[in-house]
Amino acid sequence: MTDMAASIDPSPTDWNGEAMRRRIRRRYAAERRFKLLGLAAILVSAGFLAFLLVTMFSNGISGFARSEVRLDVDFPRSSLFLDPAALEGFGADQALAGADFPEALNEAAQAQYGDSGRSLFSEGAWIGLRDAVRDDPSLLGRRATLWLPASTAIDIAAKGEGEAEAERLKARLAEAGRVRTGINWTFLRGSDSTDPSAVGIWGAFKGSLLTMIVTLLIAFPIGVLSAVYLEEYAPRNRWTDMIEVSINNLAAVPSIIFGLLGLAIFLNVMHLPRSAPLVGGLTLALMTMPVIVIAGRNAIKSVPPSIRDAALGIGASRIQVVFHHVLPLALPGILTGTIIGMARALGETAPLLMIGMRAFVAAPPGGFADPASVLPVQIFLWSDEVSRGFVEKTSAAIIVLLVFLLAMNGLAIYLRNKFERRW
Amino acid sequence: MSLGAITLLILGLGVVAWLAARARAAAFAAPDRPRPHSLPGQHGWYVALWTAVPALIFLAIWRQVSGNLIYASVMASPEAAALPAFDMQRQAILSEAYALATGRAETAFNPQAGILAPVYESAIGFYNWIGLAVALLVAFAGGAWAYSRVSPQFRARTRVERIIMMGLLVASLIAILTTLGIVLSLLFESLRFFSMVSPVEFLFGLNWSPQMAIRADQAGSSGAFGAIPLFWGTIFIGAIIAMIVAIPLGLMSAIYLTQYASSRLRAWMKPLLEILAGVPTVVYGYFAALTVAPAVRDLGLSIGIPASTESALAAGLVMGIMIIPFVSSMADDSIAAVPQAMRDGSLAMGATTSETIRKVLVPAALPGVVGGVLLAVSRAIGETMIVVMAAGLAANLTANPFDSVTTVTTQIVQLLTGDQEFDSPKTLAAFALGLVLFMVTLALNIVALRVVKKYREAYD
Repeated sequence: MTDMAASIDPSPTDWNGEAMRRRIRRRYAAERRFKLLGLAAILVSAGFLAFLLVTMFSNGISGFARSEVRLDVDFPRSSLFLDPAALEGFGADQALAGADFPEALNEAAQAQYGDSGRSLFSEGAWIGLRDAVRDDPSLLGRRATLWLPASTAIDIAAKGEGEAEAERLKARLAEAGRVRTGINWTFLRGSDSTDPSAVGIWGAFKGSLLTMIVTLLIAFPIGVLSAVYLEEYAPRNRWTDMIEVSINNLAAVPSIIFGLLGLAIFLNVMHLPRSAPLVGGLTLALMTMPVIVIAGRNAIKSVPPSIRDAALGIGASRIQVVFHHVLPLALPGILTGTIIGMARALGETAPLLMIGMRAFVAAPPGGFADPASVLPVQIFLWSDEVSRGFVEKTSAAIIVLLVFLLAMNGLAIYLRNKFERRW
Repeated sequence: MSLGAITLLILGLGVVAWLAARARAAAFAAPDRPRPHSLPGQHGWYVALWTAVPALIFLAIWRQVSGNLIYASVMASPEAAALPAFDMQRQAILSEAYALATGRAETAFNPQAGILAPVYESAIGFYNWIGLAVALLVAFAGGAWAYSRVSPQFRARTRVERIIMMGLLVASLIAILTTLGIVLSLLFESLRFFSMVSPVEFLFGLNWSPQMAIRADQAGSSGAFGAIPLFWGTIFIGAIIAMIVAIPLGLMSAIYLTQYASSRLRAWMKPLLEILAGVPTVVYGYFAALTVAPAVRDLGLSIGIPASTESALAAGLVMGIMIIPFVSSMADDSIAAVPQAMRDGSLAMGATTSETIRKVLVPAALPGVVGGVLLAVSRAIGETMIVVMAAGLAANLTANPFDSVTTVTTQIVQLLTGDQEFDSPKTLAAFALGLVLFMVTLALNIVALRVVKKYREAYD
């Protein structure tokens, strides 16, 4: 502006002159450009989110489906020497365990599809054969038609991305009506495996569940109690300042540092079991606690002081004021913060890698001290696999994780809208 | 009887004590007598706490102590004399025997474990019985003493509330303990690392190759721990590439949402942007490795730059997307905090909205925006999964975004997975890197919060 001030023109500005009109036009054009730039920024950000979600869903949705190949098994002629009577009552499991189902599958597949017949079926396909016999022992007396999971190559070919040879094989099968697509129950009920057509999400899901239970049981009470103390009782002194500074800093510490803490304290000093939901839950609890404390303090702060004054006035003690009046009124806010903190913990991977939760765990954990995997770590492990079949499984596991996170955040928003009170 | 069952038993006794004391205190209240000081329930809590808490504290201590006692008595038994002297083998047999004795395993791999299992079982049983006896004694003594004090004049409420107060204080001290635990464990392991590798070499060395020779006579690496390439990679991905993506997008989104957007669009877009912050980082990492990295490599090849699949650009881009909501919400807050009068004044002088934003609002909100960017940087450099999955392991000192660089967090994960030996500099280096990361993020946060606070005060 200084150069304009230097050359002051005494005559009034001619707003309708060509120079001024051009100037105004230029300024309005800049205004429009700026506005469009802002809109573009929003759209690019939202576009990234949409692109991310669409990529994951289009890759992953086929992970919930599997291809099955038809197999005619002539049970009486198979090498399966099983007496249908042995499959009734006790001892059935033992009889099943003793029978050579893999070999029976081998024979039937070769009889129907030639020498390479076995390669059409998934490595774990004999389990389907076994389960069919267990469910209906009368099969053993006749020729039966079963649908068993296809091998990974055929499965990928059926989903349209296979290699040329598998593609041709699949086309021949499809012509003969010997291949179909069904829901992949193994994926929902099974655990980790080396064969992508046999992997499942249930083991990791159960691990996540156990870990979250430990996290909630530790972080929630400690978080709420510290929030109550800091907001209602703490005297203003150096200790209180230190507690506040610690909590605010802990909320900003990178999650991997909590993993290092868990490794150094829980595993090396306290010798708790490695890879266990117990240790994972403890580590995540330390990470989640500050989130709950901060949310809890805000919720308690928003309860109006008149409530406290009224309770104190009719003779309640300071503890009774908080536990009978303030806490129940602040609870929706605290719960919202807790759910958001838990959702963050559910998606957390890095600290759990530090405490050894990246091991291959082929069975769902039975308890808090058993080796377990969790959903995000399972995603990480599968993403590292070379086999093509794992791509859709990884994306499918991501869908499961995102659905749970969305449900938790949705619940938090619902709670906030339903119970939030404006004083 | 296991320790878990004893704990349940003690808790049961606590419930009994609560009921008994409450019933006794309830009998005090009568129309013709003066009002007792405390309510029956408060007497109940007083006695219950005295019954259960000391006994539970004893059990917690006993759990630690008895482990050592059991170990000592097993080692003193004649069966243990046959154990191999070699430490690791002996530990393996002992832990297997322990698993057998507690029923966690059914068959022993090692025959010696089978012999030791009954010894273990009897030792565990013996010490658990002692624990049970003492715990019951403590519970009854505490309960009886407290029960004898129940009277109309006794101030049970004051006592119980004092205990609750102590519980609250202990809960809030956990935060300090955690911070202390982080600092001490990082410091302790780092000091061990720095006793093997000089801090000067670590902080200023240009060569990073942490592979150590396993045998003394092995050819090749003796390990080099110059962390400058790691620091550079972290800054390059987290503070440069990610911020080049996040600052313009985040700032412009915030400006559009606060100044231009209709309230309907704002109500929709703001939560949508928040979702970007809620997506787990492992999902971003997978997205970066599966979709973005190949695209970046093709781009690099098409403009004639040899590009690696694990390029810094791919990781930085995706990390920038993740950071957008942090920048935008901080910018949103600080723009909203600029007094309305400044905006109105600018508009009244004839400035267009965009001129007002660029010349008045953004300069006034700048400290807040800078604080937000610093917080975003601290978040970006501590981010792990995206770089583990999309950035490489090669410790290059390069400014070519199509080349592969490695970061502090990637190396921590890399060093601590696989074999861990806590006397090798390779494993301990992870803690030294963790210490640096912790200090830097802490400093960034403190500075950022101070900047934001100062700025808030300026307009209050």
